[in-house]
Amino acid sequence: MLLVFLGLKALLRNPYRSILTSLGIVIGVLSVIVLVSIGLGAKALVLQSIQNLGPNLLVVIPGSVTDSGAQVGGGTDTTLTVDDAQAIREDCPDVWNASGALRTAAQVQSPHANWSTVILGAEPNYLPVRDWHLAHGGFFGPEEEASAARVAVLGRLVASRLFGLGNPVGNFIQINHSPFRVIGLLSSKGQSPMGMNQDDMVVIPLSTLQSQIMGVTYVGVILAAAGSPDRVDDAKREIRDLLRLRHHIPPGGRPDFDIQALSDIAKTANRLSLILTVLLALIASISLFVGGIGILNIMLVSVRERTREIGIRMAIGARPRDILLQFLTESAALSFFGGLVGGLLGILSILAIRSFLGWPAPIPWEGSLLTVAGATFLGILFGLYPAWRASRLDPMEALRYE
Amino acid sequence: MQEDDRPGLSVRLDAVTKIYVVSGEELPAIRGITLSIDKGEALAVVGSSGSGKSTLLHLSGLLDRPTTGAVFYGDRRVDHLPASDRAVLRNRSVGFVFQNFQLIPRTTAIENVEMPLLYRGVSARERRERARNLLASVGMGDRERHYSSQLSGGQQQRVAIARALAASPGLLLADEPTGNLDSRSASSVLELLLSIQERSRMTLVLVTHDTEVARFATRTVRVRDGLLEGS
Repeated sequence: MLLVFLGLKALLRNPYRSILTSLGIVIGVLSVIVLVSIGLGAKALVLQSIQNLGPNLLVVIPGSVTDSGAQVGGGTDTTLTVDDAQAIREDCPDVWNASGALRTAAQVQSPHANWSTVILGAEPNYLPVRDWHLAHGGFFGPEEEASAARVAVLGRLVASRLFGLGNPVGNFIQINHSPFRVIGLLSSKGQSPMGMNQDDMVVIPLSTLQSQIMGVTYVGVILAAAGSPDRVDDAKREIRDLLRLRHHIPPGGRPDFDIQALSDIAKTANRLSLILTVLLALIASISLFVGGIGILNIMLVSVRERTREIGIRMAIGARPRDILLQFLTESAALSFFGGLVGGLLGILSILAIRSFLGWPAPIPWEGSLLTVAGATFLGILFGLYPAWRASRLDPMEALRYE
Repeated sequence: MQEDDRPGLSVRLDAVTKIYVVSGEELPAIRGITLSIDKGEALAVVGSSGSGKSTLLHLSGLLDRPTTGAVFYGDRRVDHLPASDRAVLRNRSVGFVFQNFQLIPRTTAIENVEMPLLYRGVSARERRERARNLLASVGMGDRERHYSSQLSGGQQQRVAIARALAASPGLLLADEPTGNLDSRSASSVLELLLSIQERSRMTLVLVTHDTEVARFATRTVRVRDGLLEGS
């Protein structure tokens, strides 16, 4: 214990060098903690946007069109219909609700402004399937769907572009020069995991979009919500069996549709962001390692510089292990305090990133402790060789050293 | 100096040689010396520089190991002990006083005196008390907190003597203790050493090239070219 104290005292005798030496460790620990936090923030962001879409959600997309033998790509076929959506709603016990949807791009006009946006045709139960809510007004029901009524529900961004901050409900807009009555305003939903702004959208009845704007009878996608997250896999199987039957796919035949569960996407995204975090931590560890080499360097210089002191200590009775422990304490203390300061600075930087950049960077408490411990261990490891050299000095030669 | 009646240590060098090898060339420093130093003796070792007298002192103090021959403390052979055991012996039985003082830089007088006790595991309070008494006894009681760089040569040597006495050793080895001092501090340091020896009856070996200094010793041996010149 006394020798530990002795090591600390030696550091205080040369404060500037001690601070500069531990600077490498400070920066190393700082960057590890900050980069890990940024990686974790990315993960949180991805998970949050998936949560926005609904964790129970299953997306049924049509298969690829085969054009003269060349596959054009997933989701391009026109094989899914409203009847499929209805069958899924009625015949799949683990599906709680489902809605067909179709989208196109169009120019939307209000009396004062115009905006180019996405027109989404949806069935009346689209909102509960998406776990989405209205900010104002109402949504269209089965009557409007049946009569292909010209009613529209605006996304937040579209509403603000067309009507400013006022309430747009009751106003009229024009979609491709046909008048639509605004009956509702959606609450803000933010970005989808695919990077689309879900607030930049106008929702109208699916039948209206099909018959009056696009002149088609298919749907682009069927969204189905499972009863609970643990029923997603069952629901997926039921939908697959049902659609194979309805589309007359023979056993073993390739289906003309594809089902994606958002929970699968979430898993992938989770794994990707974990890889990102590990990668960032690895890069930052390199600077920590360089900091350790700095300690090795300074300790070697220090042992050489203090050769005579070591000789004196040996002459008055310091055993080799006393000398070893003294120098080891020095390097451990350098890296420990460097790590501590780096950890504190790291946490401050994370707080700054949060408040100035709005990035949801969490403070990785366990990671920080682990990093500081790792840095200390690194210091001991890199201090081992210089300390060993000091302990092996010949007392007589050390005393004569100039 | 609570242990005034502590008997000194007797040292015996038995046919020791010390040969340094410098870039492949053998340089004999001691060619074969047999010497018995009795308990409580004040022995002066004189000789010109390069005669091997300092090497003799270092061998006696276990700072160095003889190439051949043996070193005994009392009846115990000590030269072949491992480094760690020799360190413990140096700590408990030997006090060194060097020509160039060898105080630890950027360390206060009292910290230097405490150091042998530190390696012995003596408690902080006891260390401080002993070091304070020792500094007072060598006339440095008012300079406990001075750093070695703030002390004159004579003062540094007094601190070094206090440090050598801290562990109450049975053997005090002084290597040209007055060599770096002006004549006035030299004689006061010498008086101090001899009075300590007289009171404590510890064994004192004093290496010097100054025959004046040697006059104070109870016995004088002369070293020339690594050999003893009669005793």
